[in-house]
Amino acid sequence: MLLRPLLALVSLSLLARAASSDETHQKLVSLAAAGGGLIKLDSNSFELLTAPNRDWSASIEFTALDPRRRCAPCKEFNPSWQAVSKAWTKTPKEQRDKHFFGTLDFDDGQAAFQKLGLASAPVVIVYPPTEGPRSKGRTEPSRYDFSHGFEAEPLAEHLSYHTPIPIPYTKPFDWARWTTVAAGFLAVAVALRFIAPILQSRWTWALITIVTSLVMTSGYMFTRIRGSPFMGNDGSWIAGGYQSQYGQEVQVIAVVYGTLGFAFIMLTTVIPYQATAQRQRFQIYLWTTIIMLVYSILIVLFKVKNRGYPFKLLL
Amino acid sequence: MSAAIPLPSDLSPVTVANTASLLRIIALALISGAAIASRLFAVINFESIIHEFDPWFNYRATRVLTSKGFYEFWNWFDRTAWYPLGRVVGGTVYPGLMATSGVIYNFLHALNLPVDIRNICVMLAPRLQCPDGLGDLHVRVFFNHTSCLHNFGFRFTKEMKDESAGLLAAAFIGIVPGYISRSVAGSYDNEAIAIFLLMFTFFCWIKALKLGSALFGTLAAVFYFYMVAAWGGYVFITNMIPLHGLVLILMGRFSSRLYVAYSSWYAIGTLASMQVPFVGFQPVSTSEHMAALGVFGLLQIVAFTQLVRSHVSSKQFQDLLFWALISVGLLGFLAVVGLTYIGVIAPWTGRFYSLWDTGYAKIHIPIIASVSEHQPTAWPSFFGDLQFLIFLFPAGVVHCFQQLRDEHVFVIIYAVMASYFAGVMVRLMLALTPVAPVRNGARVRGIFSLDTRLTIVGTAFFMLAFFVHHCTWATAGAYSSPSVVLAAANPDGSLHIIDDFREAYHWLRQNTPETAVVMSWWDYGYQIAGMADRPTLVDNNTWNNTHIATVGKAMSSSEEVAYPILRKHDVDYVLVIFGGYLGFSGDDINKFLWMVRIAQGVWPEEIQEPNYFTPQGEYRVDERASTTMQNSLMYKMSYYRFAELFGGKPATDKVSIAFFILLLANMRAVSLDEAYTTENWIVRIYQVKKEDVLGRDLKSANAFSQGRKRKRSRPMSRRPPVV
Repeated sequence: MLLRPLLALVSLSLLARAASSDETHQKLVSLAAAGGGLIKLDSNSFELLTAPNRDWSASIEFTALDPRRRCAPCKEFNPSWQAVSKAWTKTPKEQRDKHFFGTLDFDDGQAAFQKLGLASAPVVIVYPPTEGPRSKGRTEPSRYDFSHGFEAEPLAEHLSYHTPIPIPYTKPFDWARWTTVAAGFLAVAVALRFIAPILQSRWTWALITIVTSLVMTSGYMFTRIRGSPFMGNDGSWIAGGYQSQYGQEVQVIAVVYGTLGFAFIMLTTVIPYQATAQRQRFQIYLWTTIIMLVYSILIVLFKVKNRGYPFKLLL
Repeated sequence: MSAAIPLPSDLSPVTVANTASLLRIIALALISGAAIASRLFAVINFESIIHEFDPWFNYRATRVLTSKGFYEFWNWFDRTAWYPLGRVVGGTVYPGLMATSGVIYNFLHALNLPVDIRNICVMLAPRLQCPDGLGDLHVRVFFNHTSCLHNFGFRFTKEMKDESAGLLAAAFIGIVPGYISRSVAGSYDNEAIAIFLLMFTFFCWIKALKLGSALFGTLAAVFYFYMVAAWGGYVFITNMIPLHGLVLILMGRFSSRLYVAYSSWYAIGTLASMQVPFVGFQPVSTSEHMAALGVFGLLQIVAFTQLVRSHVSSKQFQDLLFWALISVGLLGFLAVVGLTYIGVIAPWTGRFYSLWDTGYAKIHIPIIASVSEHQPTAWPSFFGDLQFLIFLFPAGVVHCFQQLRDEHVFVIIYAVMASYFAGVMVRLMLALTPVAPVRNGARVRGIFSLDTRLTIVGTAFFMLAFFVHHCTWATAGAYSSPSVVLAAANPDGSLHIIDDFREAYHWLRQNTPETAVVMSWWDYGYQIAGMADRPTLVDNNTWNNTHIATVGKAMSSSEEVAYPILRKHDVDYVLVIFGGYLGFSGDDINKFLWMVRIAQGVWPEEIQEPNYFTPQGEYRVDERASTTMQNSLMYKMSYYRFAELFGGKPATDKVSIAFFILLLANMRAVSLDEAYTTENWIVRIYQVKKEDVLGRDLKSANAFSQGRKRKRSRPMSRRPPVV
């Protein structure tokens, strides 16, 4: 007959836990309301929010906003986080109280960072509910994947898989951008009379064409799309390897191509109109030398990128 | 201006003309010879074999076409692709390439020349270079002043100069690596024929515009139709020609020539292009084609204004007309926007967006971003493909702007667009390649003294010779690998052929039932269908993202999750590419993150990319790899029994230089049996086990059949659940 007291004890402790769970939930609701939808966490409230028996879900941003921590991505990401958590406050109360947004700064909760083994920030972790109708068996927290970038839209879209109803996030209307565009149009319209002669000159367009194609063929779009840094971490400006390049290379290569192109234009269009044989000779030698020299430099650069390249010029 | 060297005066004009044309023919023949020869490296180094991935499908389709006839091909429903969905091939293929091969095949057989269809397919691309050189010559003759020849010292006549410029351009395009990359022997791909068609359509368009000829406009439309039937890149023409027309109108260069040329091209070309089933009603219902329609409408309006203006003199009426037409134009534009909004006209497709907003593809359609051809181009690729043609660009542009007739405007627009697109996607380098030679070239004339003349000739000759060496090097080294057969060098320098792919496909063909479904990543789908002749789940057609994501999910999940997926799709064999033994870097472990990403796009809750990295954010495959990684089916299939190769020493993956110590010894998949592994371990094939007949789970069934008693897990608590 030992069983009965044991049972009683177990049920009692369960009751107590249920009660404390309700209490915790109330506390969290008030915390969220106080923070405008976002709970500013510390080690204690973090434990509350991620209590092992919870019928709510939570998404927590681990960050380090203190200037001393020098976390630039944290600052970049924080506005998106704020915006998404703000959007969540627009949902009806019964759903709103089933999911919480929290922010844990490194300086407020080092213990939690250590416990989770986090070595970098920002990190977003979603804690699904462990009890109640919404728990679906998967109780281990999952990380948000930053490969979508720091923008709020993909964040809201992704977090919506874990919230009871989708987060009603809409991108705020970008007044600054549209004002700039409108002002730009206006400025062009006003200035049209004055810049018309420039726009009608074919050489303006020739310059635009040449610069565009030189910049494009120097791999500008590569650096845009891949987000290559301007130069390497070790201060080198040229990236080894055929399929990579730094931002600075675009400039150097475009200048090299431009110089070579200019030399060819001089050879083909200017030299025939020189008055004396002496001047013509001087120019021909000048531009030919420049072509050979710059071309050699180009080949040297190409050899840096492609080590197996078998040819070389002067250098 | 006087010629640098005076013409011999004792020759009759007829002699000069005849000599010139003889020289021209010889030069063209030599250029064609060089162009074809430089595309044969692959055949000489390896063998007459179809290359890469997509060509295998084209080859298979061509075989169906030649053996069963055109109507069978048109109605072909391929049950073995995209198992169990199947693929309507006739309606989802650009048939131009196969039809071309079929015509050549039938023609040769009518002459009693029994040439194997495989050789026709292998050699099709090089063979096309011959007319291509010719076609290009015509384009060049046409752009006669666009760029001129390196005319160093001798000039026969004005005519001759222009055609020599054409010859030079033909020579450039014949050997420039950027084009060779898609037209080597064995590269039986749509692009091989499409670039020739692209050039020829543009040539007809320019000619039509110059002459105001409806005949050439119609010819342009006919070649446009051929192009539409051959390659999805026809959209480039569909937008280039309207853009050219629009710019001409904006420059105030509207003429009846433009009206005739454009109207005849657009009307006939659009109707013709709608005959291709894969295109269907797209020309009137998608945004990609709306520019052409808009410019067509604009031209009618402008032509109407011009007509009325020439008959009515009242100033007020003309003003009224002007504003009325502008409002009609605006209304038309708004109508198109409105129709797009309510969904009658399909908005731009994702592929189109990804050309402009470069971040788009990465977020929304990872399957597009994952293709290596869709990566942006770094500058070494540009230089490697075009060499000194790049920096002759500015000189060519200046020449164009000096003349600036209608056709020069076209070249300029083409150059700007092509260099942008080539920068965004490596694959579109191809579009840039034809314009580069057309635009460049320089004429040095009026040089007075001998030494400078020699300097110029010497420099030019040197640069051309360097170009030829560069092209040969790039072609032989970079663009002539079939990628089905790999080559390595033995220690003594001789060629060692690695033929694992065909070994594996042949094994499948000989040892499995014909209905055995093979699952692999989509890259190998066409090859399995072509060489092993077995049904595949996904292939390079990539039309069904969910199906591909399913395969990605099976590869990247643990066995417990993957096994039901495999069984539900009737998968009998799973094929993985493993390069760790040989150091072959294009293996599945390298592509693995893309599988994860694509699966994550469909099941974001179950598959998450960060789980495949170490906590430090590294992508590792050794014992420090994340647990999710180690449990994934792909990882197990790649490294199963890998340690045995090293006899107790730490196993080394040659691609990532990772050392494995304990991990691999006890790793095995319970739901798969290793069926076959090729000589160099590149291809590994696993057989999927059927469910146990006694209804046990596979783990205990395995343990039982191996004679081991499975350790029982701790007994469940018998206590009744407490509420």
